[in-house]
Formats: sequence, structure tokens, C-alpha cells
Amino acid sequence: VTSLLKKPAQTILLVASMVAIFMLDTFSDYEIAIAVFYTLVVLAALRWHAAREVIILTIACIGLTVLSFILSLGGQYDTGLVNTIISITAIIISALLGLRMRAAQQAAHVAREELLRISRATGAGYLTASIAHEIGQPLTAIMSSGDACRRWLNQQPPQPDKAQRALQRVLTETRRASDIIERIRAMVRGEAVQPQAFDLNQAVREMLQLCAGECSRRNINLQLQLAVHLPPVWFDRVQLQQILGNLVLNAMDSIATVPEQPHPGLIRIRTQLDDGAVLLSVGDNGTGFVANAREHLFDAFWSSKQGTMGLGLTLCRQMAESHGAQLWAEAAQELHQQRGAVFYLRLPMDSTTSK
Amino acid sequence: MTESAPLVYLIDDDAAVRDAITDLLASVGLNALAFAGTGDFLARWQGAPEHSAACLLLDIRMPGQSGLEFQKQLRAMKIDLPVIFITAHGDVPMSVQAMKAGAVDFLGKPFREQELLDAIWHALERNRCQRRQLAEQQQLQQRWQSLNAGEQAVALGVVRGRLNKQIAADFGVSEITVKVRRANALRKLQLRTVADLVRALERLDIR
Repeated sequence: VTSLLKKPAQTILLVASMVAIFMLDTFSDYEIAIAVFYTLVVLAALRWHAAREVIILTIACIGLTVLSFILSLGGQYDTGLVNTIISITAIIISALLGLRMRAAQQAAHVAREELLRISRATGAGYLTASIAHEIGQPLTAIMSSGDACRRWLNQQPPQPDKAQRALQRVLTETRRASDIIERIRAMVRGEAVQPQAFDLNQAVREMLQLCAGECSRRNINLQLQLAVHLPPVWFDRVQLQQILGNLVLNAMDSIATVPEQPHPGLIRIRTQLDDGAVLLSVGDNGTGFVANAREHLFDAFWSSKQGTMGLGLTLCRQMAESHGAQLWAEAAQELHQQRGAVFYLRLPMDSTTSK
Repeated sequence: MTESAPLVYLIDDDAAVRDAITDLLASVGLNALAFAGTGDFLARWQGAPEHSAACLLLDIRMPGQSGLEFQKQLRAMKIDLPVIFITAHGDVPMSVQAMKAGAVDFLGKPFREQELLDAIWHALERNRCQRRQLAEQQQLQQRWQSLNAGEQAVALGVVRGRLNKQIAADFGVSEITVKVRRANALRKLQLRTVADLVRALERLDIR
């Protein structure tokens, strides 16, 4: 109603037209369908007012049409009834179509804005920040470890054991940095994927060895339920491990944001046969999905976490789909406390062995 | 008050970075306590150490809560640790925000050893200063409480600039009594001059 008051001139014009139409309609014969002109009022209202006001005005127009029909005296009653029904239908249809068209226009506007934002975000700055962060971590560890190593050696007496350990960290982290660079290079090159047949369980176990340390540090219980005699799957092995790594990291992050701390975290990874395909699932008892998060999980540059690019799951889904696999998420139900999330990856089997 | 070895708290989500920094600090004789996240830190927080200076090395970009938000939370929780931010992608607006919120320093990863150690010394010094001021304040407060009501009243009169004679008239006592109480007040507060007294009561926010 506020927008009716905010634009008094338009409102007066609308109400005046409604009154005029009402008078003409009431004092004319049944045969003349003056009430159809209420559609003009509705169309004008669509131009000036919000949906709620348009609906109120539409209802008012319908009410006036009915009232005119009751008050009208001259002419044939049947024709009048038909005319009234036609008029009301016309009013309702123009209001509905008008409102729907406007909603569509608004949606198009929002989508355009989103597209603009994405194209801006894909700019070099964003990528640079992400790479700087990725590379910055191992570099920090390398530099600090190098400094520590020198200090242990310079101490009186020198501490070769501690220096050795620091040096080992330098080597490990150098490898990590060079792996990251290799990955970025592959991404920029757009390296062709190399699907192959392999044992999913084995690949899962390998990947989880890398996560185990971090999980125990974060006091997270990592559960494995791997089906025996699983047929080989057909996928790029490295990409599969990247997807799994991403899902496990997300699960850890989700557990870390549970408000009650300390929170005994649980991540359950399961493989199973599923109707001609192999299903890999990663479930956690983290915070699960807030509000509309599940709809947006796979959108590019959307993230529930601060300071991340929101590309992880987007890329995972792209990788999955390029192999004819599906990746989706559901709210966890079987893990305790009925909260958390489960991500499913449905992988195609190797066609040479599946027959 | 004797001081034991200073303590550096470290929050960073990257295990390798935590290990490396902890080791580097150990090599210069600093104790460090590392945490994988702010939740972990709060879960294990048992108050600042009583007899050693402490500071916090805080990564800005972490899953869950960002370092900047955490800085605010610490302040709200009255955890008074000088904060040094470390970040792998330090941009200008973020560092400005951090410094405005009272951070000691803002280091971009990877940082030089000297930068880090300088920032830590600086932060520890600031913490020592805070602790010293707090201790002095508490001591002064205790001494003030040890004054009896008459002595406190005389001290307040003196601070307000009233003469002994006027104070004597105010309370209906002799001028000698006022002089005795005034001397007692200064002795108990371990102060020498009226100027000291004015400063002391100002610090205690008594007037």
C-alpha cells in the first residue's frame, strides 16, 4: 500500500479512471462491456506499482465489475452476465501476465548482474590471489624451516638432529610447491584428461593417507567402508583423487565450523556397487547446509566459507561430468545427530569388464 | 616479579606452516603453542600465562572464521593478546583494517625471519607494558583501599585543590588532624608530592 501513497498523482489517476469506468458500466446497458477497460487500469498499475499493490487494485476492479453488474438496470441479463465474466477474465489475465512478465524481467536483470560479477571475478587479480595463497603456504614453511635449520646448526653445541628435521620439512614443502605449480600449469594448458580403468578402493586409500594426518590433528575420525570385489571404474585417476581430496577437505572445514567445540568429528567414506555404476560417498557430521546452500553448492564463485574462491565444487562437478559421472550432495541422515552433509560421486564402470 | 620464557600462540590452518614457525621460534628459545583454527584455540584457552609475556600470530585466511573477525571476538572476550597477522595474500585494505583494529604488525607470507622476530619482540614488549600497567594499577588500587575513610576524604579534598583549613572546616576536624591524615594518605599510597597524588587518583579514575 505504501507505493500507492508514495505516488499520489498516479494513484489518483488510477482511482479516478476506476470510478469513471464504474459509473459508465453501472449506468450503461448490460450489453456494453465497459468493464473490460479495467484492464487499462491494471496495465497502468503494473507500470507504476509493486506486485502487492497491483493485486489489490485488480481485486478492487473485479469487485467494482461485480457491483456494477448488480446495480445495472437496463438490458438483457444473460448477455450482461457473459460480459461480466469476460471482463473479469480479461482483468485477471492481464494482471497475471503482466506480473509474470515483470518477474521474468527482474530475473533476467539479476542474472545479468551475476554474469557481470563473474566476468569481473575471473579477472587476473582473483586468480593471482588464489595462486599466491596456494604457493605462499609452502614457501612460508620452507623459509621458516631454512632459518630454523641454520639456527640449530649455529648453536653451541650444534643440534644436528633438529637441523635435519627442519631440512626434511624444506624438502617436503619444496615438493608440495612444485606440485602446485605443476597443477596450475596443467590447468592453464587445459591438459587432456586420461581416463583409465583402475581400482577405486586403492585410489581412495592412497588419497586418504594424505588426509589422515590432518584428520587426526583436527580430532576427526576417518571411517572407511569399502565394498569388496568392486569392478574397476573408468575415470582419470588423478582427477578422481582431486575430487575426493576436495570433498574430504570441505568435510573437515564443515566440521570445524560446528559451534559446539570440541566436536568429535566424523568423516565416512564409502564405496559400493550401484545399479551398473560405482558409488563413492563422503559423509560428515559438520554443520551441513544452511538455508539455500545446497542449491548453490556447485555454482562458480559461490562459497559458504570466507576467503575461498568458491570454485572447488564447481571444478569437481566439471571433472565428474566430463567423464560421464555425476556429483551431487544430500543432507546427512544416517550419521549421528542427523546433521552434516553427504556428497555422492557416481562413477561409470570400465566398459571392457562390466559386460 | 620474575618473568618466565615468553609464549607465542600461533593459529594457522596449514600444518606445515605451523610446524615450521614453531620450530623456528624454538630455535631462538621462544615457546610456541600452535592451533589449527580459532575454534581449537578457544577450546584450549585457559587464560593468559601468569608470569610470562605472550602474543598471538594469527593467519588471516582460514576456513570458518577469518582472522580479522577473530581479532574482534578476542577483544569482546577481553582476551588481551597483542596480535600479529600473517597472510599469504596481504592486500592493502585488509592490512589497514587490521592495524586500525590494533594489530602490532601485518606480515605477508613468506616473511623474513628478522621481520617475524622483530614483530614478535615488539608484541611481547607491548604485552609486558600492558601487564606492568595493569599490575601497577592493581597495586595502587589496593593501597587506596588500605586508606581509612577519613584519609580518603582528605586526599580527595587535597586533589580538588582545597586548603587544609578548608578541609578541616568541611569535616569539622582540626587542621592538625587534616595534616596527619594527609601525611598518612601519602605514606600509605607510597607517594611524595601532591602532584603524584593527583596523577594516582586520576589513574584510578577517582575524583
